[in-house]
Amino acid sequence: MEPALDGGSTSSSRHSKRFSQSLTPTGSGSLRVRKPSNASGGIHSGSMHKVIPDSMHTYGEGIKAVKEKDSERTSLSNVDWDLLVVGTVIKLLLFPAYRSTDFEVHRNWMAITNSLPLSQWYYEATSEWTLDYPPFFAYFEYLLSIPASFIDSQMLRVQNLGYDAWTVVAYQRTTVIVTELVMALALRSFIPKSIHPNIQRIISASLFFHPGFLIVDHIHFQYNGFMFGILLWSILMARNDHKLLSGILFAVLLNFKHIYMYIAPAYFVYLLRSYCMTPNGTISIPSFLRLAQSVLAVFAVSFGPFIWLRQVPQVLSRLFPFTRGLNHAYWAPNVWALVTALDRVLLKIIKMRKIDFEVDTSAVDSTSRGLVGDTSFAVIPKVKPIHTFAITIALQTVFLVKLWRNPTYKSFVAAITLCGYVSFLFGWHVHEKAILLVLVPLSLLAGERHSYFRTFTIASVAGIFSLFPLLFTPAETIIKVVYSILWCILVLSPLSKQLYEFPSGVIAVATDILERAYLYGFILLQVFVSLYPVLTKTRAQAGDTAAESLSKLEFLPLMVTSIYCAIGVIWAFLRFSWLYLTEKY
Amino acid sequence: MYGDYEAQRHWLEITYHLPVRLWYKYDLQYWGLDYPPLTAYVSWLCGFIAHKINPEWVALDDSRGIGSATSKVYMRFTVLILDLLIYIPALVQFARNSSLLRHRSAKAKDVALATILLQPALILIDSGHFQYNSVMLGFTLHSLNFFSQGRDLLGAFCFVASLGFKQMALYYAPVVFAYLLGKCLLLGWKSGVPHLASIGFITIAGFTILFLPFLSEFPTHLIPPIQRIFPFARGLFEDKVGNFWCASNVFIKWNRHFSKAVLPKLATGFTAIAFMPSMIALFAPAIKGFGTMEMAGDRSKSCQPSPTFALFTHALFQTSLSFFLFSFQVHEKTILVPLLPLTLLMVASAPTVEGGDWEWGVLLNNMACFSMWPLLRRDGLTVQYIGLLSLWNYAIGHNPLRQSSLRPLTLFAYSAAAVIQVAELLITPPTRYPDLFPVLNALLSAGVFGLAYLWSLKRLVEISWAMGTIRTSTITSTSAPSSLRPILEERRYPSSKELFNNFVSDSAAAGGGNDASNHTISLSTHDVSSLRKRHAPLHATSEGQAPLSAGVVDLTE
Repeated sequence: MEPALDGGSTSSSRHSKRFSQSLTPTGSGSLRVRKPSNASGGIHSGSMHKVIPDSMHTYGEGIKAVKEKDSERTSLSNVDWDLLVVGTVIKLLLFPAYRSTDFEVHRNWMAITNSLPLSQWYYEATSEWTLDYPPFFAYFEYLLSIPASFIDSQMLRVQNLGYDAWTVVAYQRTTVIVTELVMALALRSFIPKSIHPNIQRIISASLFFHPGFLIVDHIHFQYNGFMFGILLWSILMARNDHKLLSGILFAVLLNFKHIYMYIAPAYFVYLLRSYCMTPNGTISIPSFLRLAQSVLAVFAVSFGPFIWLRQVPQVLSRLFPFTRGLNHAYWAPNVWALVTALDRVLLKIIKMRKIDFEVDTSAVDSTSRGLVGDTSFAVIPKVKPIHTFAITIALQTVFLVKLWRNPTYKSFVAAITLCGYVSFLFGWHVHEKAILLVLVPLSLLAGERHSYFRTFTIASVAGIFSLFPLLFTPAETIIKVVYSILWCILVLSPLSKQLYEFPSGVIAVATDILERAYLYGFILLQVFVSLYPVLTKTRAQAGDTAAESLSKLEFLPLMVTSIYCAIGVIWAFLRFSWLYLTEKY
Repeated sequence: MYGDYEAQRHWLEITYHLPVRLWYKYDLQYWGLDYPPLTAYVSWLCGFIAHKINPEWVALDDSRGIGSATSKVYMRFTVLILDLLIYIPALVQFARNSSLLRHRSAKAKDVALATILLQPALILIDSGHFQYNSVMLGFTLHSLNFFSQGRDLLGAFCFVASLGFKQMALYYAPVVFAYLLGKCLLLGWKSGVPHLASIGFITIAGFTILFLPFLSEFPTHLIPPIQRIFPFARGLFEDKVGNFWCASNVFIKWNRHFSKAVLPKLATGFTAIAFMPSMIALFAPAIKGFGTMEMAGDRSKSCQPSPTFALFTHALFQTSLSFFLFSFQVHEKTILVPLLPLTLLMVASAPTVEGGDWEWGVLLNNMACFSMWPLLRRDGLTVQYIGLLSLWNYAIGHNPLRQSSLRPLTLFAYSAAAVIQVAELLITPPTRYPDLFPVLNALLSAGVFGLAYLWSLKRLVEISWAMGTIRTSTITSTSAPSSLRPILEERRYPSSKELFNNFVSDSAAAGGGNDASNHTISLSTHDVSSLRKRHAPLHATSEGQAPLSAGVVDLTE
């Protein structure tokens, strides 16, 4: 297969060719063009060394050549290989790192899908970690379990709860790294036809190396990289004007993990407006039918067996358990975190001032520890799921109207981001991990202008920091902090250099200073979070009478983290909403 | 039970809680202190800080075998901090200022730095297995840097620190001694004798400071540390190690043929013979050129490195490899000692030279990791072993399939290593030979290291020849015509064929450079075009031609 040369063409046949080539790069790297002796090779040759320069002396030249040829080639260049190898080695080295119960969750699902008939999958409840992802993910786990049976069949026994031999760890961690290549290839494919390939390259690399994925996937353990890979492919198809394919991929994604429903409204409006309607507003029935049939077909493949077995209500009850509280164990940095904090402050004031106010006494203790369960407010009126639902829909509608009027690609990506954002900020029982749903599409727009970049910076820094409490073991604490700092330096400074604009006007300058101060505040916050346990410990040793009340406040660092991050995340949301609503797409 | 990690942690505990006189005596059965005093002092400092943070980590006796997550993180952190304080500054200093890399571009220097920093063997042992080798190596590297700047007193002091941290630095000692004495000889009576005296004074003062707390009751307090540091009561080799004794032990049972008293002497004799070539290479030009560095009224001469410094790094490698192969009581980890100077030589040379320093450096670095595989496997460092090795080889762009005179050996070594490792994974060794795979490992490693030793002899001869030690002593910058002085000043120390080639290719890439390099380019303009293609083999000089003498001859036209 020759490297694609279809520079500006957008015909669909060419594109499917490009797609397949990205998956099977056989073209030659820039350096190998100049070095005929090594002209063969690629992924299939099995030898990475062929694709790379014989010494690092040529690295710089490689970059130069890549820049020149970027717009023409779709095969992996040397820089891509370098990034891939470095990233993979970092992830390999994290094999022995801390892993959360999600690791056991996924092992259990692998065991369930492998050893039980399909009809039992959504009924099996030996482990407390029952299967609660949509069918495609179950099929995915089944596929993963096939090679697993050759490696260590012990990991596929449902009764073998908490099995964590070296074989399972190595196998499951490897599957995360390998499936993440879906994302890596999508990110690589974003570069060739972007307006600023150099900026897009940094953004793509930033997502491949995103601390969020490192923390959540490679340490904590989940398959987000794989699923965001599908999302990115879908977005890429929308950019390359394959809207039907984009819709199909999104439907597939929804059947992997239903959290992506947060952004489904943006997809719905975008596809309806730009695929099913002509620019002047007349509806194209054939297009509409094509889209509807495709999406229905995807759902039929996914849910078909369960419809046949009449198990759909059982599956849905597993997917949507409406028994959880407003906040997750650790408060995700959203509006409810701030409201809960405000409630605590009001309670304090009422107690101190002895104001006559009807306090919900049952809530006084429950909020203090921030543990799993229903968070109820002592002062502020109770929030019910229907309230959060209403707010979310209302705010999403605002952005969707804008998207309806401007159904362009950029507007679409911004609308995805904002839909995810609204759901994250106002949703019921939001996990801190859901911030990735905001950060990933937002990253794609980071290179637009300085104001986009600044929004991206604030949201990313606050969002990544808000993931830190997922890892609390000492060794991983160091890894997450050092890695995130490195990521910030390596990603933010080159982007900033390319995009910087002087703030104009007094308000802009003041905002700029405040935002900088906020960002540097994270250093202080990390110092506080690190030192707090040490300080309280020494006080406790000194026999301080306040020690008891302090141990009650052991969740204080978590609460402070949550609130501080919430401020940044919400500010970035306001910034971005303003940008989106005022921008002319 | 436990290993080096617990040993090092235990030392924090005993040095912090016990008086100095008990350090080398306390419960020796449980990982007693057997490193020189500087290790003990560093342990005390780490213990002091650990006690401030959490006294449980270093509680006397009670903390034995403590494996809490925080204590492990603390211990690993001490390694990284000491790296940052000692080893990495030495590396940066080397990459920026070393005469070995003097003519290289800034980018090449960065590459050199990254190559050494990512060296898998040292990371695996220091941060994986757990030791503080980088401190000892860092001090030696500091002394090498100081010697290259002609600051011999500071260099000697750093080397004393290196010896005082870990006795393994003794493997370098003959070279340091020969170099410094040789320089004093070159300096002649007038400035050589005072120079020797001040070096001697610094060395003795350094050791005195190190052992000061043990001198209070001379010599009763001094004997325990000395006995602990040099354990001649142990065996000929430890575990399975890829050196001469362990490998030949498969065929000749040394313990049966020789008594325990004879073996150390035999080993010492072998070692001395093995590193003799380095000594001759360092001393011969010094004796021949006695007094040539002396300049009446010019005291700055002793502040310049001796011409024999061109041999210094290589002699370090040759000598320490001799020790590794032939000396008594060698650990598999000791391969790190010859690996440091070899890696320095490696990064200073062009990757394109067939069978040159770079290729041997890569081969030995990889085989060193392989030779430590049994140890790493026990430590559960399989993934790290694979990951770091592949990252390093990828980063430096090593391609074992590339055409080279070393290719047969490289391919054989890698495939044999792969076969051994795969076989180990799949086959359980027969009960008669439970150590089958470690022994095969040792045999293969010893074979490669032995060939590396022979290669190091060849290089020693090459460098001595290329340096033209005898000739440079007559054509010094002061005796040459004034027009040539800047050139000779610039060109005195680069010694080997590789250095010369690098020099040409770097200045060719830089598009000129200083006037000295312009001259050199003109020597081989027909080659510059081919040099621009960095991957094409260099044709700059043929195998036997001595580049420096060629340069001098051409320049004097």
